[in-house]
Amino acid sequence: MDRLVGIETEYGIIVDGRGPNDWIHESIAVVQSYSGPSVRGWNYRGEDPRRDMRGFTVQHLATNPDDAQFDTPAMSREEERTDRVLANGARLYNDHGHPEYATPECRSLRDLVAHDRAGERIVLAAAQRHAAHTGRAVTLYKNNTDFHGASYGTHEGYLMRREVAPETIIQTLLPFFVTRQIFAGAGKVGVENDGSTRNVDYQISQRADFFTVEASVDTLHNRPIVNTRDEPHATPSRYRRLHVICGDANMSEYATALKVGTTCLVLALMEAGWKAPVRLADPVRAVRQVSRDLTLQQKLDCFGGQSLTAIEIQRLYQQAALQELRGRDEDTDWTLTEWAATLDALEHDPLTLSDSLDWVAKYCLLNTFRQEEGLDWKAPHLQSLDLTYHSVDPEQGLYYGLEQAGVMRRLVTEGRIQAAMSCPPADTRAFIRGLFVERFGQAVRSIGWNGILFEYHGENLLFDMNPLVEANVSLLNEELAAAETLDEFVAVIQRKPEQD
Amino acid sequence: MIFTAEERRQMPVVPTEPLRKSGDGDGPGKPDVKRPDTSDLLKRMRRVDPDAARRYRQRSGQ
Repeated sequence: MDRLVGIETEYGIIVDGRGPNDWIHESIAVVQSYSGPSVRGWNYRGEDPRRDMRGFTVQHLATNPDDAQFDTPAMSREEERTDRVLANGARLYNDHGHPEYATPECRSLRDLVAHDRAGERIVLAAAQRHAAHTGRAVTLYKNNTDFHGASYGTHEGYLMRREVAPETIIQTLLPFFVTRQIFAGAGKVGVENDGSTRNVDYQISQRADFFTVEASVDTLHNRPIVNTRDEPHATPSRYRRLHVICGDANMSEYATALKVGTTCLVLALMEAGWKAPVRLADPVRAVRQVSRDLTLQQKLDCFGGQSLTAIEIQRLYQQAALQELRGRDEDTDWTLTEWAATLDALEHDPLTLSDSLDWVAKYCLLNTFRQEEGLDWKAPHLQSLDLTYHSVDPEQGLYYGLEQAGVMRRLVTEGRIQAAMSCPPADTRAFIRGLFVERFGQAVRSIGWNGILFEYHGENLLFDMNPLVEANVSLLNEELAAAETLDEFVAVIQRKPEQD
Repeated sequence: MIFTAEERRQMPVVPTEPLRKSGDGDGPGKPDVKRPDTSDLLKRMRRVDPDAARRYRQRSGQ
């Protein structure tokens, strides 16, 4: 891939004997139980979630009124977040009562998949340590709903050129995001926020029930399909960071890679001047329509009197990417090939993708169990099995059970996931962050995505990493890796280009 | 004092490890689905508390 990408996952949490009023404290305790090398002091420089890419800043972000019933302890942002920056370049913290793991910036699909899965292992180890300390069992779920109307996110971050106009981004991404769920959805038993008891046994997406507007800067309530938050975490005059909030948490490595790979290609098309050839008449309605149509045959109304299926809309994007981007790099070609194959399979027999896509794997697993046990889809047991599919405990989780049975398609080895738990990607600025945590953590005053503030001979120095996003920084990282002292590290980053 | 990498030489792009590799056993591949052992999985499913989801309550996140 020719861009930095990352995934942030808010994990669902339950602790024996505790309830929602305790989730903030419990999530903080899980983060504090992380036992590997880490530094505190997140650098919030350049972060303002109220800033909209369309050129304005909102006064307030919408909050969920239903969440007001729960206690929110009075504490500072720093105390509540309890940020930890890890030696693999990742960020671990508490976000609204959920342990959240943000992967380091990655430049390849396999690195991203490995780091996303390393996050599962990292939060599990922290939860087990917390449980051992308190004697209360802790379970974490990599999912997006509590089945009672509360949702929590799995966000993707994509660096992209700032020249692409916000309106182009919104109009091009709406049809793509509305239909991307046919391969990126994680599957859900039942329906939420519908205002009626519609007969929805099983739907494709966990998150589809939670989007009420086409585009906005909000994330907690009145959620948009396209989030317009403007936080580049890079030089603002040159870059945007597309903050995608409409995706599901994927357990399947293949689904994660395809979700991110296809989105990267659509961004590359936009950067090359391409615009969506279709505009949905009602994207918000269409999100739910697609999610609830397991036949994948329903037509979506488009402006101009046209109507297309989700698969047909995805093919418009896939064909454009094939024409414009084929041969660009290995990840691009893998994505183009698998995108086409997946759409073909979805068209002919979606169940053949039970080894690849979460919503299909979960459907097959639960439907088989349901039939064997004589259960109706409305049986509470089915939703509990849905929840357990997402448990990150290998001895409990149903996705992990499928993996252990050898029936899921894998993209990375267990060894690569283990390595990602402590090693940052070698070809992005995350390597420098991780290196600093590992070797010079004592000197850190604050650390973030785009900079490190550290003490050096009695002075506070800021290493600005904003520019280190475009080119592959492997060679710089190699030089820095050879620095055994802070003096040597500073000497490398101070060196002018002509001295290289 | 601010150090910036603004003027650093643009590093040449080193090809990253391809997603598909042959011969190292690390690449993607179809799993062996001829005889998957799913008996443990069914046992695991039967052990799930049927009321787990009914009791499951979370704070609304992002």
